[in-house]
Amino acid sequence: MSATLRRSLALVVPLIVVLGVPLVIDDRFVLKVLSLVGINVLIVVGLALLFGYAGQISLGHAGFVGIGAYTSAFVTVRLGWPWVAGLVLAALLAAFGGLLLALPSLRLRGHYLAMATLGFGEIMFIAFVEAEQITGGVDGFRGIPYAWIGSFEFETAEANYWLVWLMAGLAMLIAYNIVRLRPGRAMRALHGSELGAKACGIDVVRLKVQVFVISAGMAGVAGALYAHLIGFISPSVFTLHFSIILVAMTVLGGTSSIAGPVIAAVLLTMLPHLDAIVPGMPETVASVLQDWQADIYGLAIILVMLFVPGGVAGALRRFSSRKDASVERSDAA
Amino acid sequence: MGSAELLQFIVAGLKNGSIYALVALGFTIVFASTGVINFAQGEFFMLGGMLSVLALQSLGLPLPAAILFGVLATTAVGVVFELLAIRPKKDGDPLSLIIITVGGSILLQSLARHMMGPDELPVPAFTQGRSIIFAGAAIERQTLWIWGITFAAVLALTILYRKTAFGRGMRACAIDRDGARLVGVDARMMVTASFGLAAMLGALAGAATAPLTQTVFNGGASIGVKGFAAAILGGLGNPIAAVLGGLLLGLIESLSVAFLSSTYKDAIALVVLLLVLFLRPQGLFGRKTKEKV
Repeated sequence: MSATLRRSLALVVPLIVVLGVPLVIDDRFVLKVLSLVGINVLIVVGLALLFGYAGQISLGHAGFVGIGAYTSAFVTVRLGWPWVAGLVLAALLAAFGGLLLALPSLRLRGHYLAMATLGFGEIMFIAFVEAEQITGGVDGFRGIPYAWIGSFEFETAEANYWLVWLMAGLAMLIAYNIVRLRPGRAMRALHGSELGAKACGIDVVRLKVQVFVISAGMAGVAGALYAHLIGFISPSVFTLHFSIILVAMTVLGGTSSIAGPVIAAVLLTMLPHLDAIVPGMPETVASVLQDWQADIYGLAIILVMLFVPGGVAGALRRFSSRKDASVERSDAA
Repeated sequence: MGSAELLQFIVAGLKNGSIYALVALGFTIVFASTGVINFAQGEFFMLGGMLSVLALQSLGLPLPAAILFGVLATTAVGVVFELLAIRPKKDGDPLSLIIITVGGSILLQSLARHMMGPDELPVPAFTQGRSIIFAGAAIERQTLWIWGITFAAVLALTILYRKTAFGRGMRACAIDRDGARLVGVDARMMVTASFGLAAMLGALAGAATAPLTQTVFNGGASIGVKGFAAAILGGLGNPIAAVLGGLLLGLIESLSVAFLSSTYKDAIALVVLLLVLFLRPQGLFGRKTKEKV
């Protein structure tokens, strides 16, 4: 198999799977789970840019998702704005929050951003609980309608699935373009040696801030989609635990890759719902998986960092390069 | 506000501040030896309380022995964590180490839930009896214990650092790891020891606080952030600065409740953290360092 053929297969096969799923599956619950998978993919694409290309982690992305969710819920339900306006404002506000956080903490060397984002996430959690007039406090925000454009309402599970995965696809497209073009090369240089990158005339701080803002904006969009998909949001969704799960997906996915973290996000999001997706799976297995979910994530993070630093992406790369080598050998023979 | 009332808030601030100081010391000790922020530090605090309860309920130990068990067992957890998860990472890449401590944090938290259940668990006060009235302010006996434990821990740490070869080795590693190794200090051993010490200090704080607040498997994260805020406020890497930062943070929190509002009490430490990071990242008592090539 030639490299180009394999590469196009790698693009076409997932596309067919994503497009084909609603034609095969008509179980509403499974489609909802798969829509949640798409929402996590959307967030993780942003985090993959941040982690894999800018060498930073965020422990507060649940906060940006929450900003997006509450923004869109508030302006559509309370102010009667159209859904599209809510979505755009959700992205803008989350991105703006990201800008405020990133500008000062990315000037600092090292990993202050991680702690700053952790603090930010916790502040947002407290704000979601306390700002009852806007958020509804611990009782949450109810009665958020399905997404709509003009007179068309995304009221079926299929329609929501398409909407979420369209957005996730757009995010991946944006990410691929960032990575392939000049900013991506600059980011790779940054990951190798920050000082070296500076010496090549790359404005390191500006680049990192841009990446962080993009990832925050993507999280905001994901939050807005979540709010309208589920119809109910409460602070208990946007916790540190959620932020860490997102980091786990990103880290397991590997560095310098978008596909790796996306695969990890798909697998890890489906893990607790395996009984609904895999037919014939005993319920006890699923409940054990749910009970031990955090342990599995924690252990997996440590093991990947120690023994498979490239994550899923690294394993994929090794796999494909080995294949290349064997192809070359057989050609020679 | 009367002076007695104000004093009451100051007492509360210094009580919480002592706890933050112990947790901040843990952050600072690990940072000094490895250059990374240990995100599992809050879990050591949680384990100090939870493992004491385990010893009380399941092993049936008397309270002092249970507390001792909780602290020593947590210390062992810290040492084992370093040996199994930090030491094998030979290249010492800071980002990887930080992510490992994040993984360790949710793993320890979840294991504690499996062992002890999801509910808040009570621990009896170290000594029973009514609060002591001082100048119109009531001071709980447990608060005196917290102050005593913090003072004893800081004193012991000072003696360790200044008077023993072991402590001098740790300080040497913090200043220059390779230089310390050249003069025969076992640098890897010092990293392990720093995790053990950090776990012990966190566990002491956790065990001493448990009678006041109860203990629960997910109680470590928020105290971890506050302890880190204290360490940053003082200046990361300097033990004295960590203690001062802790006390100061406790006072700021308590006084802001007294004069502003209690709604956003838990956000105060986070706002302080962000402000210090933005305005004076080297901390109040730290010196500015320049990056070398």
